[in-house]
Amino acid sequence: MLTDNAIMLKVKEGDLDKMGLLFQRYHRQLYGFLFHMTYKKEAAEDMVQHTFYKMLKYRNSFTGSGEFVHWMYTVARNVLKDEFKKNKRAQLHSDVDDLADILPGGVHTGDMYEKKESARALHKAMEKLSDDQRQILTMSRFQELKHQEIAEIMNMTEGAVKVRVHRAMQELKNIYTKMES
Amino acid sequence: MKMECEHYEGLFTDYINKQLPAVEKVAFEQHIAACPACAEELQAMQQVWNVMGEDAIPEPSADMQHRFNAMLANYKASVTENASVWEKLKEQWEQLWQLQPRWPMAYNIAIMVIGLSAGFWFLNGRKTADDAKLKTLASEVHELKQSVMLSLLENPSASERIRGVSYTSEIKHADKEVIDALFATLNNDPNVNVRLSTLDALTGLANHPEVRQGLVQSITQQDSPLLQSAIADVMLKLQEKSAVGSFRKLLKQKNLDQGVKQKISKTISKLI
Repeated sequence: MLTDNAIMLKVKEGDLDKMGLLFQRYHRQLYGFLFHMTYKKEAAEDMVQHTFYKMLKYRNSFTGSGEFVHWMYTVARNVLKDEFKKNKRAQLHSDVDDLADILPGGVHTGDMYEKKESARALHKAMEKLSDDQRQILTMSRFQELKHQEIAEIMNMTEGAVKVRVHRAMQELKNIYTKMES
Repeated sequence: MKMECEHYEGLFTDYINKQLPAVEKVAFEQHIAACPACAEELQAMQQVWNVMGEDAIPEPSADMQHRFNAMLANYKASVTENASVWEKLKEQWEQLWQLQPRWPMAYNIAIMVIGLSAGFWFLNGRKTADDAKLKTLASEVHELKQSVMLSLLENPSASERIRGVSYTSEIKHADKEVIDALFATLNNDPNVNVRLSTLDALTGLANHPEVRQGLVQSITQQDSPLLQSAIADVMLKLQEKSAVGSFRKLLKQKNLDQGVKQKISKTISKLI
């Protein structure tokens, strides 16, 4: 099986159809990242398309010296930055209230209801974090990227990532506990 | 105690994440067991961590793949379109050179001819316009000089009158008015020096027949020996034979200077 980098280098050489393979491999992961960053399903889907478009357009900036996934996150973060800039004034309306649609099963058992409530609280707490904190927690906890990988994507040292993950985690805990009580 | 708590708080994430080295993990768990405040904090964080772990990501909609395919097709089309425009230009350029040398050469020559004739036309047009301007300007200056000269000749100061006379050397086409004024000065000016320079000026205008005639007539009117011999020199220089009659008349004058008499006799013999 071809590595991600080998595929992306083929895209860079002009075999644009090969981008389809990378889309199949990564669009879910990317969608997860963007969903946690916005909690808006449609916006996240749009941004996945936009990220792949940008990777096509700027394929020449892929050098192959780092992992394709890291480069993909870098491009996605730029897409996010543009999106946040655009929506700065627009009220952030998340799909938190529509979570019933996304959880498996439609029946509200007691356990189910509890899960839904805690997820809603978590999303609201996440939205209160700064963009950078939300990004770093999303990558660390939801995407389960290693600190060293995050360091590469965010262009900082591993130590700095560790400290930031911890601070964001504490902040989230404080907000969450306050909401629970 | 506080310092210690801060240290262990810093390790919460790593502990929850199960990334704490074994040695540190033991010390960490000992501290938590002894410190109820830290234990509570850790529990709160663990809870959030677990909630995060249970957080479900909604299914992306089915048409994401279709949208991607459409986007890719669009992008490819735009790229090939750009490329084909470039290719077309390149092809046309190459075709132009294949027709070498006839068409490009003919084109070059045509452009050159057009350029040159445009340049000539442009410059000549300007030249005639400039020429016309210069001509009017020159004639204005000429008129100005003439009137200055005429007024200077009437000046009571002899040196000013000499200046006026000297202006005539700058007047190329002296008209009748100037010549008349000069003769009036030559025959009537009280100052010998003025009359001598007037003679010089008139000699310069000797190509006019009326000037030569006037000079011959002027011979008998001069009473200064200086002027008489100067006119004799001029006549000799001009080889004016019609002056002989006037000289003979002058020789008959009783009070004529002896030296002048000899000079005029010599001049007459040379002219004949």
